[in-house]
Amino acid sequence: MSNRVDPNLVSDLEAFGLKDAHKCYNCGNCTAICPLATPENPFPRKMVRYIQLGQKEKILRSPEPWLCYYCGDCSTHCPRGADPGETMMVTRRYLTSLYDWTGFSRKFYTSERFEIMAISVVALLVGMALLIFNTGNPNWEEAAINSLWPAEKIEIADLVMASVLSFLLLSNVFRCFRFIMGDLSFKIPLRLYASEFKELILHTITQKRFSKCSDGMQWFVHLMIMTGYASIFLLVVVFIRWFQRDLPEYPLSHPIRLLGYYATFAIMYGTTYAIIGRIKKKKPVYKNSHSTDWMFLILLQLTTLTGIFIHFARLLNWPATTYFLYVVHLMIAVPMLVLEVPFAKWAHLAYRPVVIYLLRVREKFEQEKPPPAVDTAGVEREGTSQGST
Amino acid sequence: MDKKLAVYICTGCGIGDALDIDQLSGVATDDFKVPICKTHENLCSKEGAELIKGDIANEGANGIVIAACSPRVMYDVFSFDNVLMERVNLREQVVWVQPAGEEDTQMMAEDYMRMGLTKMKAMAPSVPFQPEQEMSRDILVVGGGVTGLTASLEAAKAGYNVVLVEKQDQLGGFQKNVAMRVSYPYKDLQKNDLDQLIEAVRKEEKIKVYTGAKVESLEGGPCVFKATIKENGSSADHNIGAVVQAAGWQPYDPGKLDPKLGYGASPNVVTNVQFEEIAKSGKITKPSDGGFVKSVAFLQCAGQRDRKHLPYCSSVCCFTALKQAIEVKRQDPKANAYVVYKEMRTPGQGEDFYRKAQEAGVIFIRSQDPEVALRGEELTVQAYDELLGDTVVLGSLDMVVLATGMVPTTALGEDLKAKLEQEQKKEGEPEVELLRPDYMYASDVLNLKYRQGPELPALTYGFPDSHFICFPYESRRTGIYPAGPVRRPMGVASSSEDAAGAVMKAIQCIELTSKGQAVHPRVGDETYPEFFMQRCTQCKRCTEECPFGAINEDEKGNPLPQTTRCRRCGVCMGACPERIISFKNYSVGMVGDMIKSINVPDEYDEKPRILLLACENDAYPALDMIGLRRMNYNAWVRVLSVRCLGSLNLIWIADTLSKGIDGVMLLGCKHGDNYQCHFIKGSELADIRLSKVKETLDRLVLESDRVRFDTVSITDYDKLPALLDAFAARLEEVGPNPYKGF
Ligand code: SF4
Ligand code: SF4
Ligand code: SF4
Ligand code: SF4
Repeated sequence: MSNRVDPNLVSDLEAFGLKDAHKCYNCGNCTAICPLATPENPFPRKMVRYIQLGQKEKILRSPEPWLCYYCGDCSTHCPRGADPGETMMVTRRYLTSLYDWTGFSRKFYTSERFEIMAISVVALLVGMALLIFNTGNPNWEEAAINSLWPAEKIEIADLVMASVLSFLLLSNVFRCFRFIMGDLSFKIPLRLYASEFKELILHTITQKRFSKCSDGMQWFVHLMIMTGYASIFLLVVVFIRWFQRDLPEYPLSHPIRLLGYYATFAIMYGTTYAIIGRIKKKKPVYKNSHSTDWMFLILLQLTTLTGIFIHFARLLNWPATTYFLYVVHLMIAVPMLVLEVPFAKWAHLAYRPVVIYLLRVREKFEQEKPPPAVDTAGVEREGTSQGST
Repeated sequence: MDKKLAVYICTGCGIGDALDIDQLSGVATDDFKVPICKTHENLCSKEGAELIKGDIANEGANGIVIAACSPRVMYDVFSFDNVLMERVNLREQVVWVQPAGEEDTQMMAEDYMRMGLTKMKAMAPSVPFQPEQEMSRDILVVGGGVTGLTASLEAAKAGYNVVLVEKQDQLGGFQKNVAMRVSYPYKDLQKNDLDQLIEAVRKEEKIKVYTGAKVESLEGGPCVFKATIKENGSSADHNIGAVVQAAGWQPYDPGKLDPKLGYGASPNVVTNVQFEEIAKSGKITKPSDGGFVKSVAFLQCAGQRDRKHLPYCSSVCCFTALKQAIEVKRQDPKANAYVVYKEMRTPGQGEDFYRKAQEAGVIFIRSQDPEVALRGEELTVQAYDELLGDTVVLGSLDMVVLATGMVPTTALGEDLKAKLEQEQKKEGEPEVELLRPDYMYASDVLNLKYRQGPELPALTYGFPDSHFICFPYESRRTGIYPAGPVRRPMGVASSSEDAAGAVMKAIQCIELTSKGQAVHPRVGDETYPEFFMQRCTQCKRCTEECPFGAINEDEKGNPLPQTTRCRRCGVCMGACPERIISFKNYSVGMVGDMIKSINVPDEYDEKPRILLLACENDAYPALDMIGLRRMNYNAWVRVLSVRCLGSLNLIWIADTLSKGIDGVMLLGCKHGDNYQCHFIKGSELADIRLSKVKETLDRLVLESDRVRFDTVSITDYDKLPALLDAFAARLEEVGPNPYKGF
């Protein structure tokens, strides 16, 4: 029976970082204050209640966690210190682990040891692979990475990695799609899925929803990290041939070089802001840091830093330093990509826009054809009770 | 006593500016031939008081009339020994509510002067009541639970001897069965320190303890109570000054609950009281097989706040459930504890305790109608959670605990009210509306030898209390003060406080009574009703209507007033058709004369008159309040303060109307279940009596619109001017009273 109260859910979620949800007395202030909650999709109180009552099934089918950008307004206004914003974050971690069919994500989130081990193992494998697979003929005169690890070869490795990642991520996204859409999944005409696709693109690029939150800085930081990360991803995976270049360097105005600089700056700015925030713990968003949050920021920043170092070593024309840094750089970047993208924090990059997109599709579908009465009852009740608080 | 009257008119506070003081003095000196009449610009000053004292000492003045401010203020300044005193309210009820220098204002002041002097002439000095028997100062405490024990200790500490009577074989009451306790400051569970309390009571020499005992009978009144206590077949008599009734409560019978709650369906469905017994043994185990519990659901309001069972909140059961849930979690942090509640109620500072339970991981479900069900072997609760908007199921429960509520001991036993009503019915339709009998049950607690029944009269739900907002601990039986859960549902912390409060009341009662003075609300009043028995017709009106059961009756129906029980409300005086009950400063004739002293201008003067009989408890202060706010009201009104509207004797209506006064308004307190009447039934009785006034009016061939009854509370003062105007307007329509000038 799905509506059984599962008293263990709360303790289960503690491993995902849940701390204060039990303090909630369901006043609904958080929902009233949340700039993103709507009468159709009210949150975060509802999610807090699901957790309190151990309603795992309901959580699994909820799109709401992905609609929250964690501005923290709710946590600031919660009279009980129940930190509903963090609870939403925890739910996202939890959902990521539920969408993931490999079970890897769950381990990753619930065990710090596993997390560090996994990253170390992948890092070592990458290091070993770079030592084993190379031309064996480095250029010691000039810093030329391509002389040891030619861009075409790296591109092949890139593509292999990208396909594995895509497969994992897409299969998880598909599961997410099934959970969210439930019975409706295949009842909605493809035409609607197609026509709303532009929303998906738009949201991914602009983070439009996030800008509704009252703290504009959060949106900006998020946008920086997101665009920086996307640019660099594009450069290393799609444009690696042009990006991994030996001397002479492109002129300063070259688009590849400019994009590289933008990405570096954006990521460094965003991550530094976030790290300082997490250390100071002033903003509610940064109050509670799960180990994966730190891991994510540290890996991203280290990747960027080593990238910068490589850049300078190359410009200074120090071959040995450059090759060494290259290995280190990849030992950090690859585990980050392989583990974070399908299984951890980076996965939200896919889930969030997809869920927003799916909701749009569903909304359109329901507009076209009146919904069955049972379906709306719950939504309306929740909607009105929120309205009155 | 030879009366030598002296009138003092204060000219301060605007009185001198608004009135012609010489003319006002003339009323005293010329009309009433008062030998001493003085004015002072500041009578309440030291010099003013000295002036009066001087005349008392040197001139032999002993009937002092002070025409100044309201009797409700400056009573400490205008307080002189061994003289009669009357206050004429020129300030709050004349110059502050009427335009200065007007003829009508002057006429009003002069009328009040006449009324005051008339009363003074009729007054006689009072001698404080002293019973024949020796007066006892001992306190009887009925009930040996936390409240009774605390009360006994408090009384002993204050220096009074105590007789403590407990029904069970051991002291301790309900708390004996309680393992851990929730009490102030509500941060955590507390050890039950009942044993220390019992020990302290046992050690106290001033406390005589009876256990396995009961009060077989209680007769007399404050300071002259005689209590017969039966213990193990033998009985002992005690003379008692006052009583604290702390008879406690009983849990509601779970057998009567809705079968949906599953009581009886499985041995593992228990009440909170049964759970307490299990917890007391040290381990919380399943009743069915003695196994440790892993999952327990607590269902709140099992009968409480339900019209069919206990319509009220029992105030402690939410705390108890939180405590018991925490105990389950303590025994095994992995165990599941659910609390299914309608509304979580943790009054006072109890919120912290709710947090404590949240912290411990107790799961809360808000549902109005949970249902307990056995699914095969599995015990489950199904509940629509309002905060989720969906039905949830609590499965694999080891135990379901039903939070049953508190029934006051006074609500147990035969329903005497129903019995009386039955008898009334048998006697046939009454000609006039009858007073509703009090709620009372034969609960075998006090066994009063009172004409009006053996126990304390109660409110709707069986809790004895005279006025739950203004005067806690008071009951309608003078000198008997209920405390603890018998008074209203409450926990240990409130019960202890309540015990102290009730003892305080008992002590006040003993102290005042031994001086021959009245207790609340006419504290210190030394007058009391005196019966001119030769003319009594044994009609029993007084014995039936006294709101405090202060008058017993002999076999012939003669009233036997028990003066120490009397609150001096005057209800008996209003009830007596023979008008033979009177006080030294308040009687039917005296008030009648005061009414007659009002000057009624004849019809052509177009100055109608309205008599306002105002209850001194709320209506009169409300009128003062209008003055304090400098508002205005109708100039035709003449206010006459009465002890209680219940002291209204219908002859006053006849006196008023035959005098030519155009209308009478009665202003008293709200009556009914949520009464505010300080003498409980006074205003209701006045209302009932008025239903008979038609007869009087018919005899005088007058319109019934000339008499009007209204209830007010002090906070309604701002509505009074409009009310009076509306009545005046109505009288204008009816036309002048044809008796004017007779
Ligand atoms: S504001 Fe806090 S206490 Fe209120 S519903 Fe939201 S989380 Fe719960
Ligand atoms: S963190 Fe912001 S977006 Fe998320 S639920 Fe709270 S208020 Fe809404
Ligand atoms: S009716 Fe009032 S005044 Fe008369 S005996 Fe009873 S308490 Fe006393
Ligand atoms: S009401 Fe008057 S006449 Fe009647 S019993 Fe009492 S004292 Fe006697």
